[in-house]
Amino acid sequence: MNRLPADKLPAKLKVAMIILVCSCLFSTARIIRYAPKPWNLAPDNIAQRSDQRFAAVKQALPSRGVIGYVGETGESALPDYYLTQYALAPLVVDRSVNHDLVLENFTGKQIPGSLAGLQEIQEFGKGIILLRNEDAR
Amino acid sequence: MWLAVAAVLCTLLGFLIASLALDQGKSPADFLLHSCFILCLGVGGFSVLFLIARVFNLPHLFKADLLAITLLGAIRLLARCPRKPSNRGLHEKLTFPAGIHRLLTVSFVFSASVAGYSAVTGAIVHPHGDGWDAFAIWNLHARFLFLGGARWRDGYSTLIPWSHPDYPPLVPAAVAHFWSYLGNDSPAIPAVLGFVFALSTVVLLCSALTRMRGGDAAMLGGLTLVSTPFFVSQAAAQYADIPLSFFFLSTLVLLYEYSTSGSKRTLALAGLCAGFAAWTKNEGLLFLFSAVIGQILPMLLGKRPVGTRKRREVFAFLIGAAPLLALDLWFKHFIAPPGDLFTTPASMISKAMTPLRYLVILKWFGKQFLRFGDWWLIPVTLVLVALYFLSSRNEKLREDAALHASLWTLVLTLVGYFAIYVITPNELYWHLRFSLNRLLLQVWPSGLFLFFCSVSLRRGPEVSK
Repeated sequence: MNRLPADKLPAKLKVAMIILVCSCLFSTARIIRYAPKPWNLAPDNIAQRSDQRFAAVKQALPSRGVIGYVGETGESALPDYYLTQYALAPLVVDRSVNHDLVLENFTGKQIPGSLAGLQEIQEFGKGIILLRNEDAR
Repeated sequence: MWLAVAAVLCTLLGFLIASLALDQGKSPADFLLHSCFILCLGVGGFSVLFLIARVFNLPHLFKADLLAITLLGAIRLLARCPRKPSNRGLHEKLTFPAGIHRLLTVSFVFSASVAGYSAVTGAIVHPHGDGWDAFAIWNLHARFLFLGGARWRDGYSTLIPWSHPDYPPLVPAAVAHFWSYLGNDSPAIPAVLGFVFALSTVVLLCSALTRMRGGDAAMLGGLTLVSTPFFVSQAAAQYADIPLSFFFLSTLVLLYEYSTSGSKRTLALAGLCAGFAAWTKNEGLLFLFSAVIGQILPMLLGKRPVGTRKRREVFAFLIGAAPLLALDLWFKHFIAPPGDLFTTPASMISKAMTPLRYLVILKWFGKQFLRFGDWWLIPVTLVLVALYFLSSRNEKLREDAALHASLWTLVLTLVGYFAIYVITPNELYWHLRFSLNRLLLQVWPSGLFLFFCSVSLRRGPEVSK
């Protein structure tokens, strides 16, 4: 390919081009900095907090339908609820106690309060208890 | 074994769809461009087939796939070969002096290698995706589709509104399709599909720019994209923003291809890609309408009548988009609950009449324009703006219909994003903070394509080759 002679590219454009390439390389340096290191490629704890955590209780639950959910309160507890739903899909996990079966999931950040009208069916450890709501609508 | 069968069927499906409109070509750039279309159209087609199989409760997915491929194959055999592209002479080849060319080559190879390493290791460290949306939305929907059997619609229940059941299912349904062949919900599938879309976006940008403006422009565009940290991190995130950015880019690339081939089939394929965008995320629906209006608007603004030729072009685009648009509207009407962005007219009007909201959003757009890529030290967008103002103008581009249509498409899409923020029922700062950077990332590869298609770096008056 015939290359453009150096004098055909104005000096200001040459400088701008070099700045563009350098800024791209700076950002590549940032990518290197935040990339996982080859000596530390351990997977995150999503599987532990979802599929592995709920493996036992999943056997005791219906495979489809809707169950209730009670867990720690506040925004910080949302990921735990989302991960419960992720683990138990295709069962729908509603964040409410108005269902026959209710899953209690406390990860240790808060102490569970008493839940009036709910009876324990089985405890699965790690803060997971399956409850029955006799008054469910 | 069955996973390999699924991969072959998906590729074959993509090949048949792409070959209806695109000529094979002979150069490596042609081959790469077609490969991107084949892979991603195949994934899109796979998602549609899976949803159809679920809706009609088809027990044998393999047979359904074979039937669809046989039908498409028959159509392909009956259809004439697409026209070969010709050079249209609007775009000069962009070449740089040898020194800058060498710097560019080394930088591109280095940055692409780093980006590839980061995306792959990111997928290893975050096998279920990097961020909430991966497991709370996209992979959750895929699990409902795959594990739900006859009750797959439970995934679109109003009891779990936080999972955004109104989001279209291209990515989840494609993942579920592969899982069905594999027999389990391995997290490797969404990770690989995410990687395929990210790689295809980079390769499509580079190969399209190679065809339009030569290898140097392709490397410069590719370097700018692969050195965008946010793009690279999203490649492993298992969100739908990168697939959406692929379909945005492919639509614009095909609008350009049409101006070289003159084949209405290319326009229909552009429409199909815009349809796949709408089938990927709600923003894609906005993009599709923007693409239609963007093709007519330059004429209306120039006070020229929309002639028969233009009407036929828009019609061809709409014909391509129609199947997926219809599927998307059916999904929204019959499967998905209403989205959370549109509330009562009174509330939306009240928000639209609040000037402060416009100022806040404008400020955030300005701020994120410099930040969304997560660049280090120098925002690349700023350098590109400087480069644009320093470059000379190619007067012939004023007549470039594809450039105008593409620019208007992106501008209207961004205006639509702006309007959604104006009326959003969510807390405005929260909404801007957690979504605007991804919205800008969706249009970033397309923006780079248009920029490097149109920028001119020669001294003196332009000479087109």
